[in-house]
Amino acid sequence: MNIIEIKDVTKKFSNQLALDGLTLDIPEGRIFGLLGPNGAGKTTLIRILTHITMPDSGQVFFHGHPLEAKDVENIGYLPEERGLYKKMKVSEQVVYLARLRGLSKQEATRRLKEWFQRFGIDSWWNRRVEELSKGMQQKIQFIATVVHQPDFLIFDEPFSGFDPVNAETLKQEILRLKEQGATVILSTHNMASVEEICDEIALVNHGRVILNGEINEVRRRFRQHLYRITVEGDIDTSNLPSDFQVVKKEKNDNETALNIQILNGTPSNLLLQHLIEQQHTITAFHEILPSMNEVFIKAVGN
Amino acid sequence: MSKIPIIIEREFFSRVKKKSFIITTLLMPLMLIALIVIPVYIAQKTDKECTVFVLDENDYFINKFENTEKVRFEYPSGEIESLKKRCIDGECDAVLHILSGSQSNQANLYYHEEPPLSLEGRVTDQMDKILFDRTLMDTFHIDLKKYEIIKQTSQSSVAAVQIDADGQERASMMILNRIVGLICGVLIYFFVFMYANQVMRSSIEEKANRIVEIIISSVKPFEFMMGKIIGVALVGILQFAMQIALAVVLLFGVQFLLPAIFSETTVAGPDVASATAAAETMQIQNGSLFSDISAFYSFPFTTLIICFFIYFLFGYLIYASLFAGLGSATDNETDSNQFVLPVSLPLILTIMIISMEASAQSTLVKWLSIIPFTSPIAMLYRIPSGVPLWELLLSIALLVGTFILCVWLSAKIYRTGLLMYGKKVTWKELWRWVRM
Repeated sequence: MNIIEIKDVTKKFSNQLALDGLTLDIPEGRIFGLLGPNGAGKTTLIRILTHITMPDSGQVFFHGHPLEAKDVENIGYLPEERGLYKKMKVSEQVVYLARLRGLSKQEATRRLKEWFQRFGIDSWWNRRVEELSKGMQQKIQFIATVVHQPDFLIFDEPFSGFDPVNAETLKQEILRLKEQGATVILSTHNMASVEEICDEIALVNHGRVILNGEINEVRRRFRQHLYRITVEGDIDTSNLPSDFQVVKKEKNDNETALNIQILNGTPSNLLLQHLIEQQHTITAFHEILPSMNEVFIKAVGN
Repeated sequence: MSKIPIIIEREFFSRVKKKSFIITTLLMPLMLIALIVIPVYIAQKTDKECTVFVLDENDYFINKFENTEKVRFEYPSGEIESLKKRCIDGECDAVLHILSGSQSNQANLYYHEEPPLSLEGRVTDQMDKILFDRTLMDTFHIDLKKYEIIKQTSQSSVAAVQIDADGQERASMMILNRIVGLICGVLIYFFVFMYANQVMRSSIEEKANRIVEIIISSVKPFEFMMGKIIGVALVGILQFAMQIALAVVLLFGVQFLLPAIFSETTVAGPDVASATAAAETMQIQNGSLFSDISAFYSFPFTTLIICFFIYFLFGYLIYASLFAGLGSATDNETDSNQFVLPVSLPLILTIMIISMEASAQSTLVKWLSIIPFTSPIAMLYRIPSGVPLWELLLSIALLVGTFILCVWLSAKIYRTGLLMYGKKVTWKELWRWVRM
């Protein structure tokens, strides 16, 4: 089941085509990485999903029905460029934002107090926003994004401005939201975090999806038939068949690790077979899939 | 459910709770009262009794000046230089030196320490009177007493009476009408700008804060803009009401605590009034104008108050919606100036025109009172002198229509402008957003 279905969405600004017939499905209950170079159309797409901008043509379906204004109460959005009213009290601010998302004043206050306790930031409740550090404000914004318990969340560069400890907390929170059944779109340039928490990705460039699917499947698509094999003792690589190219060799006291690229579609088992015949003891063997970083560069570069 | 009330609530309370709101609300009436009371008070404080030495080269004026409570004239003998020296020594407050021969109607008033402002007027008045008396005597062989009788018996009294469409008559005071009209016009101008500007500043601030994207992912930009405009309008109405109430209380309080000021002003009216402009207002209130009670009561108060409210509200709504749109198009206040001036020009020009125009009912003012952008000021200026009902209704209808148009235009600009950063926007670009 898809929570979001984007069908042939086009959006044009005065002199540039931001989205060019973009089509994409986002399955329910997963963390979905939305990737793409700067200016690819990610922000425009997100603004269409959050009902801020309307597409020129094409349609967006949310839970199977065309997306409408009321749906925003079921969407949580943390924009990349985010701020707060500096002069307002933290409590007034978050209650206000929660009420705009459809919660009553009492319900908003109750849930927010719970969240503040969870994060151990009760003492901020009555402070003014301008007294808080940037990282503290980010936490407040995160809470304001999720307090109305939406089943669809969009985080645009959520980790920017967080120290590693807080970034980890945030990561755990996002994973927890997924466990509770929410669908999360994560738009980021931080490929390490994509690999860590995303289940699926879509790569957008020039207003189109150029690559999407389950993350390891996508990486496999960009496989370079690169394997890493570790054997006991030393190894003489000069007599390997020509389809097995040694890219890297690392040797320590009693082990040797090789990065080998297999050419011409030769099955990897032949490599193992060859090494076994040579009386080598294999301690590890696995394929090296390209990192998301490499996938990104390769896909966008083409 | 519409989220406008939630936005109104925030916009209203975040402003009302601010210290600056309380300070301006209190300060404005205080300043207004101070502006009226202090000059009068000072004028009276410094209005001590003066001694003037008179030196007349022709000896004509000797003993002709009348001593009053405030000025005592003395006629010592001696040269002007010695009298000046005595003035410096503090024997008198001023020396009046009336020149000789053909310049006998000219004089210099020498002083060392500055005398009360009113002294010069008092001396001139007396000299005028003496000279007038002499001319009457020399030319017509009558004295001042006879002249007063002639003057009184030949004085006419013309009362201005306005007839309205139903044939109803009402006594009217043309000057009073124009002053009230002008004050209302200026007040409208002031309030419209003050509050419309708040809307603009807050739009710019939200954009600069980057909170705007979070908010418009929850509410429609139109709801956000309307909530803000209405919220600030409520602040304006509250502040205005509080200021009026406070001013009234203060005025009564001052009158109660310092009755001396007011009663004396009435007595010493003409003299003090010539001293300062503010005191002049006092004279108008206490003296000549309000004395015509019938004119005061037949004044179209109800119409004026209702219209003041309507024109204030819609004038504000028009400019606030325009300012919201323009504010959303810019990232900072400096950039917004290029849009503010052309938009506010009609109001500024109207103020200039009505303060110069000879008649409240001239064709130009009539047109200005119908054209929506200028009507909040021009119509208020006209109302005390009477306006045909159809003109009033036409003007209000146009005003409301323009408000709807402005909101529509601004909402389009607002929607696009809010998320547009780092670009200096031109009028041409705004127009493209509107057509989008």
